[in-house]
Amino acid sequence: MEDNKRYPELRRRLSPGWWTANRHYTMYMVREWTSLFVALYSLIFIYGLSLWAMGSRADFLSFLKNPAIVGFSLIALVFTMYHAATWFYLLGAIAPVKIGRSRTKPWQALVLNLILLVIISYLAIWLLVLR
Amino acid sequence: MKAETHKVARLHAMLWGIFSLGGMIAAFLLPVLIYMTAIAYPYSLWPFNGVRDPSFLVTGHLLGALFIFVTIAGSLYHGIFRFQSALTEVGLLKYRRALEAVGYFIIFVGIIALAYYLVRWYLNGTIT
Amino acid sequence: MSQDIATIRVTRYRPEKDAKPFFQEYKVPYRHDMVVLDALNYIKAEIDGSLTYRWSCRMGVCGSCGANIDGEPKLTCASFLHDFKGRTITVEPMPNFPVIKDLVVDMEDFMEKLVKIKPWIIREKETPPEQGEYKQSAQELERYSQFSSCINCMLCYAACPIYGLNEKFLGPAATALAYRYIEDSRDQGKDVRFPVVHEMEGVWECTLVGECSVVCPKGVDPMLAIQKTKILGATNAIKSLLMPRGGH
Repeated sequence: MEDNKRYPELRRRLSPGWWTANRHYTMYMVREWTSLFVALYSLIFIYGLSLWAMGSRADFLSFLKNPAIVGFSLIALVFTMYHAATWFYLLGAIAPVKIGRSRTKPWQALVLNLILLVIISYLAIWLLVLR
Repeated sequence: MKAETHKVARLHAMLWGIFSLGGMIAAFLLPVLIYMTAIAYPYSLWPFNGVRDPSFLVTGHLLGALFIFVTIAGSLYHGIFRFQSALTEVGLLKYRRALEAVGYFIIFVGIIALAYYLVRWYLNGTIT
Repeated sequence: MSQDIATIRVTRYRPEKDAKPFFQEYKVPYRHDMVVLDALNYIKAEIDGSLTYRWSCRMGVCGSCGANIDGEPKLTCASFLHDFKGRTITVEPMPNFPVIKDLVVDMEDFMEKLVKIKPWIIREKETPPEQGEYKQSAQELERYSQFSSCINCMLCYAACPIYGLNEKFLGPAATALAYRYIEDSRDQGKDVRFPVVHEMEGVWECTLVGECSVVCPKGVDPMLAIQKTKILGATNAIKSLLMPRGGH
């Protein structure tokens, strides 16, 4: 957009701290920064796998038991679950399902997908470990 | 009115599609992976309260290797894509190009390394 | 005097006189059924005729009176004083737009974007009126009717931090209107509109903050329109990859 030369204007732009202005914005920023933990966990996991390739299975297993790794992973799990919950809610907001004359609400999609998550998690454990 | 040209950002559309898929993966598959490797195994909880350990992929278990690949690759892609975008929103908008370059580089290297390690194990079978 | 009084803090800015904006307080007699616009009109009529702001229909259909009221983008004609805590209310110009004077902001950027998305039915071939009207079923109408409620008040742009950070972003209202026409069964202008919404500064800048849909006074839900447009863009891109010669 070209600068308006018909009259003087006060241009205002957002400061980097714009997200502290209200609760919606702050919760949005928290939601986006869960991605940092998802990415970091993935990179750390790949590093752990490399210990196995360059060393031995025992190296990988003791890496998993390392308290620092367990601690970080637990934090990452909390943020991953927050990502999952907000993702399910957003799915409900952008893809409501029509049932008769009414549409599903986002919180319903959240509940439904959380149940789906539990089912998929159990299936994963059964398929990969128990079988 | 000046003539404007608009170009569909097809590549970015596809990258966004993959990002969305990664979001599904991170939401549905990552929690159970973290549970298995950071809670169940270190604390000997179900399903690792017996003899088994998270080397389920070492037995040449293709499904295990695939599960790890899809979950970690998808989560890595989604996480980096979104984090790079989040950084542009806290004052780093002018470094957007550099952030994208670094981000995609990390994704590329990470996924190649991941695939390499997994293929090695799958082919080696019962490596110690 | 036992009359109820409200205090209105308004941003004043006169470009030829002031280096930067400042707040001015006015005391206004308070009635339970007053809206912020009533207070501003009282100030202009009885206290300070220089106060400058936009308004027109005073009933929430014209989209002229957007402002930041106690930190939230709202229509002044639709904001009852009794809905706010206490008797002091702060009125500022809508964020993310340049200020011309007091509460009046420069809308040119939005106007350009509105024209860019061509908010009218585009036909490959117009049928003459003798052939009758274009028929549309109730289901076809439902696909886009929500998005046709937009009154161009720009509260969504005031609420959108992405637009606040990057003026080139097409933004909520323009995308919702583009989507309204894309989804209209009478419209045949996808080829014209898709490049506008699917370029980099189109929908791809949106990161689902969602504040646009929260502040919209007409229930348009621009966030939904943007996401659906993104999905259209992604599926189009994949289709063009798989079927280079195929149609849309």
